[in-house]
Amino acid sequence: MADGLTISKLSAGYGQHMVIKDLSLSLAAGDFAGLIGPNGHGKTTLLRAISGLVRAQQGAIAFAGTELTRLRPDEIAAAGIVHVPQGDLLFPDMTVSENLAMGAYLPAAARQAGERLEEVYSLLPKLRERSNQRASTLSGGERRMVGIGRGLMAGGKFLMLDEPSLGLAPILIDQIYSVITELKRHGRTVLVVEENATRIAEIAGRLHLLDNGSLAWSGTGAEFLSSPEIIAAYLGG
Amino acid sequence: MDVIVQIVASGLTLGAMYAISTIGLALVYGSLNMLNMAHGAILAMGGYVCLYTMVTLGLPAPFAIIAAMAVCGAIGVVIYHLAARPMLPSRNFETQIFIATIGIGAVIENVILRLFGPQPVAQPLHLPGALVIGGVHIPYQNILILVVAVALMAATAFLLNRTRMGLAIRATAQNRDAAQLMGVRVGRVYAQVLGLSGALAAVSGIMISSLSGLLPNMGGDPMLKAFVICVVAGLGNVYGAVAAAIVLGILESVIQYVFGVQYSFAILLLLVIAVLIWRPAGLFGRTQVVRL
Repeated sequence: MADGLTISKLSAGYGQHMVIKDLSLSLAAGDFAGLIGPNGHGKTTLLRAISGLVRAQQGAIAFAGTELTRLRPDEIAAAGIVHVPQGDLLFPDMTVSENLAMGAYLPAAARQAGERLEEVYSLLPKLRERSNQRASTLSGGERRMVGIGRGLMAGGKFLMLDEPSLGLAPILIDQIYSVITELKRHGRTVLVVEENATRIAEIAGRLHLLDNGSLAWSGTGAEFLSSPEIIAAYLGG
Repeated sequence: MDVIVQIVASGLTLGAMYAISTIGLALVYGSLNMLNMAHGAILAMGGYVCLYTMVTLGLPAPFAIIAAMAVCGAIGVVIYHLAARPMLPSRNFETQIFIATIGIGAVIENVILRLFGPQPVAQPLHLPGALVIGGVHIPYQNILILVVAVALMAATAFLLNRTRMGLAIRATAQNRDAAQLMGVRVGRVYAQVLGLSGALAAVSGIMISSLSGLLPNMGGDPMLKAFVICVVAGLGNVYGAVAAAIVLGILESVIQYVFGVQYSFAILLLLVIAVLIWRPAGLFGRTQVVRL
């Protein structure tokens, strides 16, 4: 578990309202995991707690031997955790290439920014065409690609993607998924939050189902696909 | 013709001075959502530090400018650590820091009063003489102000667009959460922005006092104008603020020529009301309207 992530008895939320309740979950280094579950049951909050945008009220999050819950978000990013947030959160008045450059803001990533940029452009060729365009003028699909490309620029040891296919046209979803599958081939530790559970079940090594802020079920993608009762109980068929 | 050149020349000087005091205000609002009501007092402090360095310490003008920028930059950083940082987690940060900086401004103003007294003093940093072209009379001091202001604006633009620190400032202003996810330490950015804003206010204070003299409460009027410019441009928009400052400076000198000095601020405020009825978020503002 050198580069693994271990969450123990985590509670986190906003103000008095705990969205994540006493959750324990672990990912081994090199795991490609999917996080599924009904909307509003804590998937996004869990990711925000890992990256420090939401303070943990109780419990611990250990990553590669470092305790994250007491660190600032920038220190967590420096520890190698990359979070591609829901809704992209681009820098609207920056160009596409400036947004990508921000992905490699940390010194460790900045040293490899040149090669990484070429990788991102070859993976997402549309971004090269749009490199001098302001992020606020992009379409939803292009914005998503910038968000993912910006996450890839960071390198990092552990990548979290929050609903990378949300609201996209089917053809774009296929494109995003081919990028995600590419990541899997490179053996990165990845956690993907996904609405479309059957889609992620096909590529993820393990699936974790969040229900009401706690872990309700864990298993392999194949187990999930052959368990209609779980699909029916938590995802409404 | 001569009249037009004269009006444009004095309008540009006014606009340049306004721009320098407005940039800091806009940067701070853009990145922290903080209306710094102590900006005027910091500006006055800059003028007095310049006076102290030149008259009491007897050092040449460039040292005085650097000393003023350093002192006022430090005041900005101290305001971040003592007032803004403890209040940032609060949901009512904008209102709290607004009120807190009114208090800080009063403290700074009274420190000046205690150290330098209430009587008006001339700013020693002043170029005598004027450039005469035909019937036009442009004081060297105005030309100096214009040159320094343009140089400072260029330096600020370079800092924001071409340096890693500037990239972090812009990222924080555009999306605080995303900036943190990229590894930007936003607390440090806030301190830098308040420091930069203080240093720019110092220069603006020196410029204004070189034309109209030093008074402990001299910062009030320029700060009010800087706020007006920020609001017209759209709060937090730095480039819009520079453009609005120059336009309003020229407008002010036209109004002063046509209607007389006493009407200039009143007409300026009328125009602002008209702009805000037409575009509530300011000329270059986005859709967000902030209500305190």
